[in-house]
Amino acid sequence: MSEVGASRASWNTYRDVEVSFKVNGKEVRVRVKPYERLLDVLRNKLGLLSVKEGCGRGECGSCVVIMNGKLIPTCLTLAVRAEGSEILTLEGIAPEGKLHAIQKALLDTYSMQCGFCFPGVIMASKYLLDKNPDPTEDEIRDALDGNICRCGSYLRFIKAVKLASKYIKEGKVFFDESEVLR
Amino acid sequence: MSTIPEYYKIVEEVFEKYKDKEFLFVGRHTQRWDSIEKIKGRALFTADFARLYSNLVYVHSVRTKYAHARIKSIDVSEASKYPGVLRVITAEDIPGINDVGYVIPDQPLIADRKVRYIGDIVALVVAENPLVAREAGELISVEYEPLPVITNPLDVVDLMTLKEKPHTLVHDERGSDILVHYKIRRGDIEKAMREADVKVEGVYKTPFQEHAYMEPEASIAIPEPDGSVTVIASTQCPFDVRKAVAKVLGLTLNKVRIVVPAVGGGFGGKEDVANEVAAKAALAAVLTGRPALAVHTREESIIGHSKRHPMIAWYRHAAKKDGTLVAVEANVVMDGGAYASLGPFVPWRATVHATGPYKVQSARVDVVRVYTNNVYTGAFRGFGNPQVIFAVERQMDLLAEELGMDPVELRLKNILRVGDETVHGQKLTEEHGVGLEEAVMKAVEASNWFELRRRYSEITGPVRKGIGIALFYHGNSIGVEGADYSSVTLIINRDGSVSIRTGLTEFGQGSTWGLALIAAEILGVPPSYFKIENPDTSATPDAGPTVASRATVMGGAATVVAAYKLRKRLNEVASHILGCDPDDVVIRAPDVYCSSDPSRRTRWADVVEQSFWLGVPLQEFGYYRAPRALWDEETGQGAPYITYTFGAIVADVDVDIETGLVKVNKIFTAYDIGKVINRMGAELNAEGGAIQALGYALMEEIIHDKEGRVSNPNLSTYYVPTIKDVPEIIPLWVEAKYRKGPLGAKGFGEPSFNAVAAAIANAVAHAIRANVTELPITPERVYMLLKNKQKT
Ligand code: FES
Ligand code: FES
Repeated sequence: MSEVGASRASWNTYRDVEVSFKVNGKEVRVRVKPYERLLDVLRNKLGLLSVKEGCGRGECGSCVVIMNGKLIPTCLTLAVRAEGSEILTLEGIAPEGKLHAIQKALLDTYSMQCGFCFPGVIMASKYLLDKNPDPTEDEIRDALDGNICRCGSYLRFIKAVKLASKYIKEGKVFFDESEVLR
Repeated sequence: MSTIPEYYKIVEEVFEKYKDKEFLFVGRHTQRWDSIEKIKGRALFTADFARLYSNLVYVHSVRTKYAHARIKSIDVSEASKYPGVLRVITAEDIPGINDVGYVIPDQPLIADRKVRYIGDIVALVVAENPLVAREAGELISVEYEPLPVITNPLDVVDLMTLKEKPHTLVHDERGSDILVHYKIRRGDIEKAMREADVKVEGVYKTPFQEHAYMEPEASIAIPEPDGSVTVIASTQCPFDVRKAVAKVLGLTLNKVRIVVPAVGGGFGGKEDVANEVAAKAALAAVLTGRPALAVHTREESIIGHSKRHPMIAWYRHAAKKDGTLVAVEANVVMDGGAYASLGPFVPWRATVHATGPYKVQSARVDVVRVYTNNVYTGAFRGFGNPQVIFAVERQMDLLAEELGMDPVELRLKNILRVGDETVHGQKLTEEHGVGLEEAVMKAVEASNWFELRRRYSEITGPVRKGIGIALFYHGNSIGVEGADYSSVTLIINRDGSVSIRTGLTEFGQGSTWGLALIAAEILGVPPSYFKIENPDTSATPDAGPTVASRATVMGGAATVVAAYKLRKRLNEVASHILGCDPDDVVIRAPDVYCSSDPSRRTRWADVVEQSFWLGVPLQEFGYYRAPRALWDEETGQGAPYITYTFGAIVADVDVDIETGLVKVNKIFTAYDIGKVINRMGAELNAEGGAIQALGYALMEEIIHDKEGRVSNPNLSTYYVPTIKDVPEIIPLWVEAKYRKGPLGAKGFGEPSFNAVAAAIANAVAHAIRANVTELPITPERVYMLLKNKQKT
């Protein structure tokens, strides 16, 4: 990075740009700075706080969302790149009052520790199951390799993705929240 | 005071009452109260609250360019004028005391006179936008006078004499860079060494380890109209943060309120750095009159918070021909980095455990912790114990080899059992719960030890196999480190739901849920009725820090006390309603009935309602203080901890001798944690601790260059285990109950880490038939070991 001096444009000097995209099925239109990260816009402007910042460098997977069918780190994506796209975050993974099969399976396998990595893990698992409804253990390990869980719930993730795959195959994609917690 | 406190009697009475009973909730798999919100991504972590404040300001820390230098002058005028900057804060702007040292006051929040490590802060920039704050930070000019940088602790002391060497002092104001020196003196060591049949010795090294909790440090401070300040903080120890913030701001404790929302991991790392981060936010909030956010980037987190203490240790073990250990000698040097942090305590725990869970007739142990210009070191799961376990367990394997014994046999010959004395002269009784032998047997049996040990020894070819064992014990709670108390308030609400308030924090480990399970069991009310309030220094009682595997044992005991008293009162009310004896009342919410005549029944909600109208209090405060620990500073004799958790780990590995790569296949973890309270938490801890320790064994190491800069300050250069590294982990449980603990429980947060790396190291040594003396066992180190072996 070059030295900051009077000659270089400051972050102060950039003007807002307007960006429209679809997030969790809803059209949104936001004014952003050209340098703003999608991560910050989703979190601060749209209140989608499930998107977590663990590293800001594409190294931990806690900020991943599905954009146009691809799993992307929002910390390395500029918000302007979202123009016209379709984004899915954890908030949109199941209808109100329901849990997605992956969420249910993660509860069934008693996987919860601090939970900070969970949004990323759930999105990466969903991305995997969308493409590959019946993954092998190796395929699960490959798919979740970019999601660091320092608490170490990894073995549960493997079990949970398998269980979720079974639920989905049985046609059980969503579960009532009330019947899960007892 | 000579009278025995009531709470001891209650905890023991409850233990007796329940010891043979089948539990309804304790020890079973249950869903934590916060699972749903976390699974939905709705749980709010500290930085998530930023959105609530529209006029938030951002705090950026300007850090030093040198790891060791005097500060001659600092000029912030350019930065202060920069558009968007509200305030630049330097040491002289601090209204209270410029110190965030956790145990001793040796760590300025903002460096004034000198900088001592690469993470030291020289100024804070407060701005409307975080990027602007950073940009303005680059305009601050500091004139430094660089000093020699000390990165090797052996430049501070000599390993064999433990005498301080002449060097440029990191803490010149102290006159010495040796922070502490702890000792154990037992028996006649000279004589024992002379008379022993075999001796083995070695020098062992362990690395700096980074916590790498997924949620980086964060605090939001809100200035309140009455001149007080509220801080939302990611911390394990809200009451310590309160003290630190009050000190820096010059406020009384009741003018600082710390609230702890969901916390994304801690592992000991969110003890002291939380003080620094909260103080930064609070300072900015008070000086600008606006809510302020201080959040670390991953890089700042790695550079700017404590690490696991690296250790360099010389050990000598002596034994008789039959394998009986007769003497252990050790010199241990721990690198403290720039500040004390938890450094007065970590080496103490290392000292206590320095000879492992064995009967040792004579011992001489010296442990010192020195200052250097490295990133400071402090608390990390295990707290000094994993380091010495690595050395001790390698030594035990060398000894077994020397004696021609199996490593398990040698250990069984020497392990602590009921009736034995620890190296400190503490007699272990039935009351402590001593399940080490059972743990060893379980791990050995499950892993098929004897057969595989033999079979793997014969393998040749490019991929070798090894199996290794390591044992440990781990003193529960904080011992003589400080006042060891805990407290909990139980509140039964008008609708029969229950609230738990405690200053103990949840950061992934699930121990506060354990408190709910204990209360549920004693009250007879299912866990689903419970909610655990977030720690809030203005509302939840001070329960001491959430450290040292103490939440379940200490908080659990306080919970037992509160629940017992409540239950007693409720039984009387129910007896009044039902017309049977209070002792005859069964509560199985939503039902309440007489045991002798179940047809006489009422509802939990009615008992609660009746209590309310009868004026029977529905809240209870539980307090518990651990019996005093004993420690003689000169000899290390006494009773350092109330009880011990025990464990035996067996690791099964492959080593590719062409690439040097180690692959862990299986880890068998047999733990005696007394009564298992929160089964889900215990299992996850066993797995999570093993995975973190696998990282410690094979890949994790913070590297400083000669200038004291961190060479790998992010997650692409500092490797932690991913899902691809994780082996099969087989958890095994032994429940040797601690009678003075809540329902017989002992602590488990740290023990889950303790001996895993040592077991892996022993397995690698077995596989390649070479002496592993240093962690992490990277491919390069395996290569060097093999190369050196060829030479000899
Ligand atoms: S925050 Fe985006 S990958 Fe870590
Ligand atoms: S649950 Fe804590 S990081 Fe995964």
